[in-house]
Amino acid sequence: MLAITAAGGPRIAALNEAAEAAGLMLGEPLADARAKASHVQVRAVDAAADDTALRRLALWATRYTPTASPLDEENGADGFFLDIEGAAHLFGGEEKLLADLSFRLERNFGLPARLAVADTPGAAWALSRFHAAPSPVLPSGQEAAALAPLPIEALRLLPKTCTTLRRLGLKSVGALLDKPRAPFAARFPAELLWRIDQALGRIDEPLVPIVAPPVYHTLRYLLDPIITQEAVVALASRLLNTLVHVLTRDDVGARALRLSLYRVDGAVETVDIALTLPTRNVAHVIRMIDLKLEALAATQDAGFGFEAIGLAVTRAETILARQNELIAENAGDADRTERCAVLIDTLRQRLGPYSVRRFEPIASHLPERAEVRLPVTGEAPASWPEPEQKTRPLLLLPRAEPTEVMALIPDGPPRRFRWRGVTYEVVGSEGPERIASEWWRQHDGHRSPEPTRDYYLVEDADGRRFWLYREGLYERETASARWFVHGLFA
Amino acid sequence: MTPPTALTVIRNRAAIAEELRRLLPRMEGFRTAKTLSFGLSAIDRYLPLGGLACGALHEVVPDDRATPSALGFIAAFLARLPRTHPLLFVIPAYGLRHYGRPHGHGLSALGLDPRRLIMVETAHRRETLWAMEEALRSGAPAAVAGVIDKLDLKTSQRLQLAATDAGLPLFLLRPAEILESSAAATRWRVGTAPATRDRFGLITRSRWRLLLERCRNGRAGEWMVEYDHVAHRFSLAAALADPAYPRGAGEKSVRQAC
Repeated sequence: MLAITAAGGPRIAALNEAAEAAGLMLGEPLADARAKASHVQVRAVDAAADDTALRRLALWATRYTPTASPLDEENGADGFFLDIEGAAHLFGGEEKLLADLSFRLERNFGLPARLAVADTPGAAWALSRFHAAPSPVLPSGQEAAALAPLPIEALRLLPKTCTTLRRLGLKSVGALLDKPRAPFAARFPAELLWRIDQALGRIDEPLVPIVAPPVYHTLRYLLDPIITQEAVVALASRLLNTLVHVLTRDDVGARALRLSLYRVDGAVETVDIALTLPTRNVAHVIRMIDLKLEALAATQDAGFGFEAIGLAVTRAETILARQNELIAENAGDADRTERCAVLIDTLRQRLGPYSVRRFEPIASHLPERAEVRLPVTGEAPASWPEPEQKTRPLLLLPRAEPTEVMALIPDGPPRRFRWRGVTYEVVGSEGPERIASEWWRQHDGHRSPEPTRDYYLVEDADGRRFWLYREGLYERETASARWFVHGLFA
Repeated sequence: MTPPTALTVIRNRAAIAEELRRLLPRMEGFRTAKTLSFGLSAIDRYLPLGGLACGALHEVVPDDRATPSALGFIAAFLARLPRTHPLLFVIPAYGLRHYGRPHGHGLSALGLDPRRLIMVETAHRRETLWAMEEALRSGAPAAVAGVIDKLDLKTSQRLQLAATDAGLPLFLLRPAEILESSAAATRWRVGTAPATRDRFGLITRSRWRLLLERCRNGRAGEWMVEYDHVAHRFSLAAALADPAYPRGAGEKSVRQAC
């Protein structure tokens, strides 16, 4: 069961058969539903995902006719119109088409469907929802007769209008159709007559056909298979040149590309190229492909050569229009930003996707958790916290290293310590800075909390500066404190 | 024509030397006289054109166990560059072998905004060299810095050429153990020095012993500098006159240290 947040608390937005069998109804408040059936499983409605799925289904349905139009919010957003005029005979008539559609929806998607054919979208909508027969096909000109016995909800009216009509005793469409129009026009929103006219075909209802997302893909078959990297790159560059025109027309650039190399023996090698900024720069993309092929040369095998090469833009993004020539120095900056993106792409292509990174701060007191190194993306980095009056080392050791320390008092600063086989005399120290463990991170109850750390900045006689910490509070957490070297200062 | 007197010969020699000093850098390929100044005339005087050449390779060599200081010197210098463009830092994926990894908050404490840094992590030396050269040739970053474990003459010539072509500075941190001759414009040896402290004995500024070992068309020199991370400014350490410092670090004079 799916619930939607509405005025007065969450209500049921969709049900499956089991929930219906339990006596639940659409639009019921969730609290009532829980009282009726306590074992009911509830999920939130994901409208965006529904929309995407419906669009994909409508795109699939363009196999029947080019004019497929998913139902919008007003129409319930739970199906699609197909304009099958001139297309039905290809499937052997309207009944056969309906049967085929119903069968395929059931088999391919597991969707039970209610279908109807009528002259007007309004009538088809009404019949598909409220007609008793499973797949009615309405002959031309019989809309009024067919709609008459159906309830007034079949007219796609607002719920408020329906309630008012029902209160007036007008329960079926037929009851409305017989009456004179003028009183309705005076007392109801224009929507009522408008919907009646649409259902009966007195006024046109335009359908908005779904447009398939553009596919940027080219494929070239070769008479003679090619083997060398230069030949592949040269061909890829020609393919890309043909794609660039389409990209330019749509005002988009490629963020990700896939080069498919079809080998003579049937195997397919794919090369994926990711870019930091959307681009239409052929030379840049070709350089990326060249670098990638070079890196892959050791592992990939051309065999007897490639007989076909395909290049597809797997992710296209709008290129923000730039005003290059307007202000000279800004143009130079934009150019340099672009060059920077090109550089990052190049480095990433050769060194691996995670090799180019940027520091990202994290709100944590523990120094080893206070930052991460994230792969550079096109977005601007987050703000960096102002350096507070806290001392942080320039270099942090990957793991704090145990050290032997001599201190005058157990909870005092170190006087001398031995690290990596060298003894350092401490001549000055700063601290302690006490950093307690993050108790909220201890998920399992078994582990005792990490001991508190007391950090000291110490300097030896030569001016080397270290970041040492003592683990555990003396006599409270531990009897013998252990010391660690955690970082080095410049 | 009268024969030149001894005095005019000396005068002429001085003038010629001055003229040569002015001309030589240009012949060496520093076409643009763009330099990065220390903002410290004591040091800038030793460098040709009064600053570190922009399009050149600069080597930084740590003294005995002074790698953090050497890296700090590079970071401090990078922090002084104009903030318009990112800085590229090429390091091996394992970090600085024995010294861990650069810490963003630590860089921030040195006055270098970590957001400006793009870290490039490489698996081996060949990749490091390639990445640095690629970065220079792209001309996109404001400066490139790198950490390398070994550098031969030929590679250094290549890097120097790439830096000159791009007009970008390249700072290279290389270990002191294996020092081969190189084509770098300067070589700095950075040593540790007791930090500047305020009268409560708290550390206020990092201090380094800088030794300009090699400088093409310039002179070698040695300084004790301290770095103010707020103002991004180098200054000469008042080595001998810091009564607040508890243990008389000033007595260890610069001459004695070398």
